[in-house]
Amino acid sequence: MSLFLQELVVGLATGSIYALIALGYTMVYGIIELINFAHGDIFMIGTMISVTILSALGITAESHPTGFTLIGVMVAACLGSMLLCAILGVVIERIAYRPLRNAPRLAPLISAIGVSLILQDVGKLWKGINFISFPQIFPKTSYHLGPAGNGVDISSVYILVIIVAVALMIGLQFMVTRTRIGRAMRAVAQDREAAALMGVNVDQIITVTFFIGASLAGAAGFIYGLQYGSTIFSIGFTLGLFAFTAAVLGGIGNLVGAMLGGVLIGIIEALASLIPDSTAPASHGFGLPHGGAAWHEAIIFAVLILILVFRPSGLLGSQTPEKV
Amino acid sequence: MSTSVSSRTFLPERDTRQRLIKWIVALLVPVMVFTIWSGESIINAVISPGTASGNVPTDFPSLVQAAIFTAIFYVAVIALAGYLVAADSGRRGMLELWVDVLVFALVPLVLVIFFGLIIGLALCAIVWPVYFLIRNQVRKALNYTAPSPLEGLKLLDAEQRVLVMERAIAGGFWFGLAFAVVSLIVDLVFFISGSLTTTLLIWAIVRTILLPIAGYFLGRLSGWIALRRTLPARDSSNGNSQSSTNGIGNGRSKRRRLEVLSTSRAKEEVKDLVPNDLPLRSAGAQRFYLIILVAFVLFYPLIDPFLFGFGTDGRLAGYGDAGYYVILALGLNIVVGFAGLLDLGYVAFFAIGSYAWGILGSTQLTNVLNLAPVNPHLLSWLFWPMLLGGALIAAFWGVLLGAPTLRLRGDYLAIVTLGFGEIVPIVFLELDKYSNGPNGIVGVQSPAFFGLQWSVITPTPYYYLILALIAITIFANFRLRDSRLGRAWIAIREDEIAASSSGINLVNTKLFAFGAGAFFSGIAGAYHAAKLGGVSPDNFNFTDSVVFLAMVVIGGIGSIPGVIVGALSVYAVNLFILAQLDTLAADPTNFMFTVKNSIIHVIPGFTFGNIRNLVFGIILVVIMIFRPEGLIPSARRRRELRHAEDEGPGGDVLDVVPGAPGFETEVRVE
Amino acid sequence: MSAKPVGLVGEPVEPVSSALLDLSKVTKHFGGLAAVQDVDLQVNPTEIVSIIGPNGAGKTTVFNLITGIYRATSGDVRLEGRSLVGLSPDQVVKRGITRTFQNIRLFNNMTVLENVLVGLHTQLKANVLGSLFHTPAVLREEIDARKRAIDLLSFFGSELVVRQEEYVINLSYAEKRRVEIARALAAKPKLLLLDEPTAGMNEAETLEAVKYVRRLRDELGLTILLIEHKLAVTMGISDRIAVLDYGRKIAEGLPEEVRRDERVIEAYLGKPSTRGEIAQVDEKATE
Repeated sequence: MSLFLQELVVGLATGSIYALIALGYTMVYGIIELINFAHGDIFMIGTMISVTILSALGITAESHPTGFTLIGVMVAACLGSMLLCAILGVVIERIAYRPLRNAPRLAPLISAIGVSLILQDVGKLWKGINFISFPQIFPKTSYHLGPAGNGVDISSVYILVIIVAVALMIGLQFMVTRTRIGRAMRAVAQDREAAALMGVNVDQIITVTFFIGASLAGAAGFIYGLQYGSTIFSIGFTLGLFAFTAAVLGGIGNLVGAMLGGVLIGIIEALASLIPDSTAPASHGFGLPHGGAAWHEAIIFAVLILILVFRPSGLLGSQTPEKV
Repeated sequence: MSTSVSSRTFLPERDTRQRLIKWIVALLVPVMVFTIWSGESIINAVISPGTASGNVPTDFPSLVQAAIFTAIFYVAVIALAGYLVAADSGRRGMLELWVDVLVFALVPLVLVIFFGLIIGLALCAIVWPVYFLIRNQVRKALNYTAPSPLEGLKLLDAEQRVLVMERAIAGGFWFGLAFAVVSLIVDLVFFISGSLTTTLLIWAIVRTILLPIAGYFLGRLSGWIALRRTLPARDSSNGNSQSSTNGIGNGRSKRRRLEVLSTSRAKEEVKDLVPNDLPLRSAGAQRFYLIILVAFVLFYPLIDPFLFGFGTDGRLAGYGDAGYYVILALGLNIVVGFAGLLDLGYVAFFAIGSYAWGILGSTQLTNVLNLAPVNPHLLSWLFWPMLLGGALIAAFWGVLLGAPTLRLRGDYLAIVTLGFGEIVPIVFLELDKYSNGPNGIVGVQSPAFFGLQWSVITPTPYYYLILALIAITIFANFRLRDSRLGRAWIAIREDEIAASSSGINLVNTKLFAFGAGAFFSGIAGAYHAAKLGGVSPDNFNFTDSVVFLAMVVIGGIGSIPGVIVGALSVYAVNLFILAQLDTLAADPTNFMFTVKNSIIHVIPGFTFGNIRNLVFGIILVVIMIFRPEGLIPSARRRRELRHAEDEGPGGDVLDVVPGAPGFETEVRVE
Repeated sequence: MSAKPVGLVGEPVEPVSSALLDLSKVTKHFGGLAAVQDVDLQVNPTEIVSIIGPNGAGKTTVFNLITGIYRATSGDVRLEGRSLVGLSPDQVVKRGITRTFQNIRLFNNMTVLENVLVGLHTQLKANVLGSLFHTPAVLREEIDARKRAIDLLSFFGSELVVRQEEYVINLSYAEKRRVEIARALAAKPKLLLLDEPTAGMNEAETLEAVKYVRRLRDELGLTILLIEHKLAVTMGISDRIAVLDYGRKIAEGLPEEVRRDERVIEAYLGKPSTRGEIAQVDEKATE
């Protein structure tokens, strides 16, 4: 039981990261109906930017900044990552997607795949092909909940991750529902032509959407590094797909759905590792060969497929008859 | 056509003379370059094997094949000369043509000679677009407009038809003569400098007499071919002679039919007729190109030593690998190109096909079932039925994995296929009881054939195998495309509702597409497993699916020649060129070495292999923005894409986000 | 262009009721909205029946319900006594109903001939193996199919036959309409549904269209159900007219009856009082 709850906590933290990335996917899809394959790789670049900023500030794996230095360094890395990723997102939109706005669906999709490949190699060239360690500067104290010997251990990093993610999501929700720009974004997402007729500068709104989505990915990159302690050029793609699954699970185009979906996917992934290894003698043949952890990717993809087939509008999307 | 050897052949009139000069020069230069490079040495080896250089095969069967190749090649070239002279309408200038031939025939030849086949052609891929750009700018600057194709369309009366035939004969004859004379001069130079034996000199003299004669007769053949493509001015009242001289039928009615067509459509039809403004591009000329290409490809293992010297085996192995990419591209073309179903997980079926043969064709299956291992020889013979069996298994899974996507539209279909494309390799990886997990299966048998011993180190049989498989696949693709099923695919790609309302069963038709596509990937998979001698899960990942899709998209979606070219180009870039650059850069004397080092100063850890995805990604983005219809688009597709751009949001009216109000109708196909 | 029928009418098998098409209490709900409510309609063989009504009345929805694009929430649709409810569009085609669309849905990047060949899909039997190996049967079938397609095109005169190799996208609107009808005829329907066949046409083209719709019934023996906005066309061509408004049938009968029906006039022009107001406004405007 406590194992279950433990995994739940881990899932919650990972899920928050997925949620942040999923928001970028869902926002872009809602507004221009494009699956931005490159988004996951923007997240990856975000992790690398964060590492670079930290090392530029003199922080290495051995440093243990405290107090205001710690906060200052973290804010710098996070904001820096957010800003630079946002710019990257905007540049990508300008160069690779905007010229294809009126082309048939296939073209921007392939262009997005192309950008994803480019970013992966940029990551490879920049930081090499091996894992890069991310300075674990946040003090890792473990809080224990529940009776000793049972209950769950919650690392302070998890708490930080969840807090940062939630804060950003609340900020985004506020922006979208209460500000003028947010209204414009929702209008463009619903009906581009009508919004244009109402005086909304559609191009600008799309740029803003990419800006915000990518900045969230940048933030996700930073907190990912804090939680996992390392990064590599190839994490963007798989995590990006998990985040996309989360967006679809929650209902594509729906912000709250993306957040919910992210958390759910994180939890599913964490719980998957609880599936016993069917090849191990102790499991008596139950479970999956080599245990659920080895299959977690397949499980998440299976979830994606099942949602798309049986409920493509997702959990929070409106139930309309399927389009063929 | 009463005159056979008329005086007009030997003393051509002015118009014919112009054409003769134009085309003979145009053809002679590249042909001479080729001949001096290796054409000569091939036939010389046949005539006097003793003079052949080191690694050239000189056994009798090889020499016979070499002789056949040379004969085919030069016969085709001479006949082509005759055809071009006959088919030319004379409206385009000489200089313009020579520049075109220079860029499209001579430059590639030279590049291939210096850089090898693949890199040479890759460089052409850079040269040609540059040339197009420059040419377009020049034309704009000169306010040049191409003459309308219909203006040049003439109906030919009897006298003009005789003229066509005479021109063809003259073309063949004079080209043969010119070629013979020039070659003779070259040979004399060699003889005088001592590098030519007397035998070969005698052959040179014989040749000088034979070639013009051959040219005369080949000219007649080309003339006949050209005449079949003319529009006769006579009515069909002359029944019999009509059908014997012309396959097109009544000229006037055909012309009238062409006139009522829109310009773009008419252009497509007119480019195959005689007389023609651009005979180089006409279907008649294309036949000759095809003959030369097929001869080249068929006899390649034999003539490679003549062309490129040492290293034949390595090159053949590479081409054998490129070959299965072609089959994969053609298979995916059915799904994406014909039926319009965006499949991002095609690698799954490739994996299934590979593992099918991998498991059966090695000791893996018998290990799993705890049986005694089968005699390897027997296993080798099992390959042939397993080519079909693996394909059917893959097709079965194609249908199974395609079924969930049936109700989904565009993007979502792609994602589901992507999902499967990720899941299948994981399944193979983790079910190691059957698939031997991350270590993969080794010791996969190569096929057996009568008398030939195959293994992973004999590339030549594999080369011919893949040629045969490619030929079968191309054949099947053409047949499918032009059938009832092919029409149904194109219909559902265009408009599902209209297709369904015309009686097409969407479910079956789509599943068939998935199945057919997967079928061919199964063939490629079995071949791949055999040639590699093993299967391993890291052969298959999402990037591969992207590569396959890129082959189809870059080559030209839906276009069969397009995706073949696309497959070869992508293979060249992805697997060959960059690796080659690294090899070159390892050599300190090479210029690449300095280039690489200077880059490493800025970006440590740089290798050309590392930027594979970068280059690939850039190519994808650039092509999508500037030439989304691909390198060799099908005519249909080019129209689709150009029209979609003009029309704006008209085309995809059904592609509505789930949850948003529908446009015209929503369809639930139960 | 021959006068004799080309034999497109199939023989009905054991007709249960004399009506060819029978809609009884057909209802379609989209969420909370009733697009079509309790519609009864019968179409007898070789009749030309029109469905008219203001925009949004549910006319095209009725068509979609008949052809299987939508599934009726309740009620029944029967062709020759057999229910069509729940069938997919291609199955409905096989039963004998084809249609044209309000916004002409041709396969734009196929030629005229190829479009009609697609329409022949259900009439051809070629399977994959036959197509791959070009068996004599398949080759024969393809030749016959092309002949048949040209026959169908020739119903409209020689123009489309001459332009058979043209891509449909290059045709005029009226020509596209004809190709769409030819494609629909290819499947040998018993009942042909025409959704606003004269939409977007000028007077000359409309007259032309009316003529060939009549010929479809007279020469080919088809039964026709059409949606039409131009009242002149409807009045002139229909044997009977059904009027829909807000998803319900509000009137049905002979053209003269319908024209004078109070409810119909109200549906199109509003209540008498409103009509009076409109007339007053008009007068004021022209003063």
